[in-house]
Amino acid sequence: MLNRNMAEAARKALSKPAPYGPDVDLSKYDILNPRRIEPTEILEQERVRDASGRLGFTPEIVRKAGYVQVNEAYLASALVESLRKQGVVVMSTAEALRKLDIAREVAWTLIRPDTDKYVAATYLYGKEQGYFIYVPPGVKVRTPIYTCLLITRGMTAQLLHNIIYVADGAEANVVTGCSIAGLHAEALHIGVSEFFVGKGAKLTFAMIHAWSKGAVVRPRTAVKVAEGGRYVSYYMIYSAVHSLQSYPKVTLGRNASTSLYSIISGEGEGVYDVGSSATLAGPGSSAEIISRNLAKDKSRVVARAEIVGESGPSKGHIECMGLILSDTAYISTVPLLDSRNPEATLTHEAAIGKIGEDQLTYLMSKGFSEEEARALIIRGFLSVEAPDLPPQVKLSVDRVTELISSKGHG
Amino acid sequence: MGSEVLRVEDADIYVAGKRILRKVDLSVGAGELHIVMGPNASGKTTLLSAIAGVEPYEVRSGKVMLAGEDITNYPLHERVEKGLVLAYQNPPSFKGVKVSEILKWLRRKFDLDPSFTESLAEILDIHKLLGRDLFSGMSGGERKRLETYLTLSIMPKVALLDEPDSGVDLDSVGRILEAIKLALKHGVSVVLVTHSTHMLNLVRPLTNTAHLIFKGRLIFSGLYDEVVPLVIKRGFEGAAKALGRWS
Repeated sequence: MLNRNMAEAARKALSKPAPYGPDVDLSKYDILNPRRIEPTEILEQERVRDASGRLGFTPEIVRKAGYVQVNEAYLASALVESLRKQGVVVMSTAEALRKLDIAREVAWTLIRPDTDKYVAATYLYGKEQGYFIYVPPGVKVRTPIYTCLLITRGMTAQLLHNIIYVADGAEANVVTGCSIAGLHAEALHIGVSEFFVGKGAKLTFAMIHAWSKGAVVRPRTAVKVAEGGRYVSYYMIYSAVHSLQSYPKVTLGRNASTSLYSIISGEGEGVYDVGSSATLAGPGSSAEIISRNLAKDKSRVVARAEIVGESGPSKGHIECMGLILSDTAYISTVPLLDSRNPEATLTHEAAIGKIGEDQLTYLMSKGFSEEEARALIIRGFLSVEAPDLPPQVKLSVDRVTELISSKGHG
Repeated sequence: MGSEVLRVEDADIYVAGKRILRKVDLSVGAGELHIVMGPNASGKTTLLSAIAGVEPYEVRSGKVMLAGEDITNYPLHERVEKGLVLAYQNPPSFKGVKVSEILKWLRRKFDLDPSFTESLAEILDIHKLLGRDLFSGMSGGERKRLETYLTLSIMPKVALLDEPDSGVDLDSVGRILEAIKLALKHGVSVVLVTHSTHMLNLVRPLTNTAHLIFKGRLIFSGLYDEVVPLVIKRGFEGAAKALGRWS
């Protein structure tokens, strides 16, 4: 049931472009009449295996995933039952909004439906597809909760609204993979995600994207971290894409902290406009934003990062590195430090370059072929120390890093 | 002299189109240690780099033979596969590339002898460097010990060591010397460029052969005792004059 005022505002925003990234004509996609398909046996489909395999997710991971969305169909797994014993809820957002007060209380509070045309379309036509995850106070879920958002049909518009609520003192690790079957498929993916991290709680969120040359991707993410809470995000994209634009925003309360990592590997003629923003709203809060950006072929990568120092003492650091692998690729880093408090200490470092000839030659002097040397250097460049990542999640990340470095010949 | 393993024959050596060394002849037998000396910028690194096949150093005329095979036109990494490896004087730093990762790769690629590499690692005190980024933030001693390890661990036919003792504390020099001894014992031939009197004295029991490069020429190849004491006493130019190779 849509809120009348929000719906009205959203309708007015249907033509409102985002401030960043290329504008998209949403009428190309079937956003008004999404077709429903039956989920029966869908996980056995070859195209699903193709899409999930490209994420570094094994069939085993997909079978056990807490939430799988294929086009418009949603499947839950046996894992959901075992999580339920701890009071953890994993269900579709639509179902959560029907059944749970907490879902109704928090939905659409961090991201306004009239933010831009993509959020507006999701609010109006998305039918609240997407996942809702709730972790009760004090419950620490060690096993990563995998969620898969897959597209297997061309011209599909996947409009999702995801909510994660980690209550006070709780902990959770969520891994979301978004992918498409077929390297040329055209599709639209919009994921509106609202995450709530309670007092002293911790959420580690890893997201891996593997799209296609025709994919238009517009994730919209906002995170609120309460006092003493911690939010860690690890985002990777390593495929071709038509265009991707995303600028997640994290707001930190007193003594809350965040580490936001992004690994962008641009290829083809794709536009990758990806950023992270953190607002140090509470005293004692801290944020680090670390990105590694690769660009080859004719790809264009814009790496944005912003830290706003509203209160102090607080600390923020941005580290933004780019590696250009071809003469026709482009990388731009846009770090922004915005201090409104003299007790906020904000720093940034940024560098863009190519693979050093001296490094290549050195490795070849130890027996590496040029191809092997390049792969090793790229893997090193992408290796970001992220101590919060659980070992199982690190395995998925390592698999993808390996894939990126093995095809990183500019 | 053991059977000849490396031969440089009548080689003119160029860097970026400019001739740096002319008419170089050099012959190294199996399991031998050869010392190469010369003043700064005389062409020592150029000689080693050209033999190893590092660009932009090139042998334009003449030949480089390894165990009887002409490798003059082989690319760098193929020379390594054939058993010719260069230890850099100043290896570059790598962020994010772990030492352990390189060692794992070397083990896979070259089917390393575990007892040799283990002894070598112990001598050069490598274990504590395994989790570090390759050469990143390492001290002079750590860099040189690691570079020596990476070069010798594959047990090449010929190891070209470019000043492994420069900028290194005495303890590390001692470790590097022990590593060279172990390699020689296993039949590795070593061509060692050094400036230091300390190293020259330490290696004396291990070798009879030294070479002197001066003003773009290899002006002396012969007995250690004929040239090293002369260089220590009179300097490079004095030694060249005394040897009648410079007027």
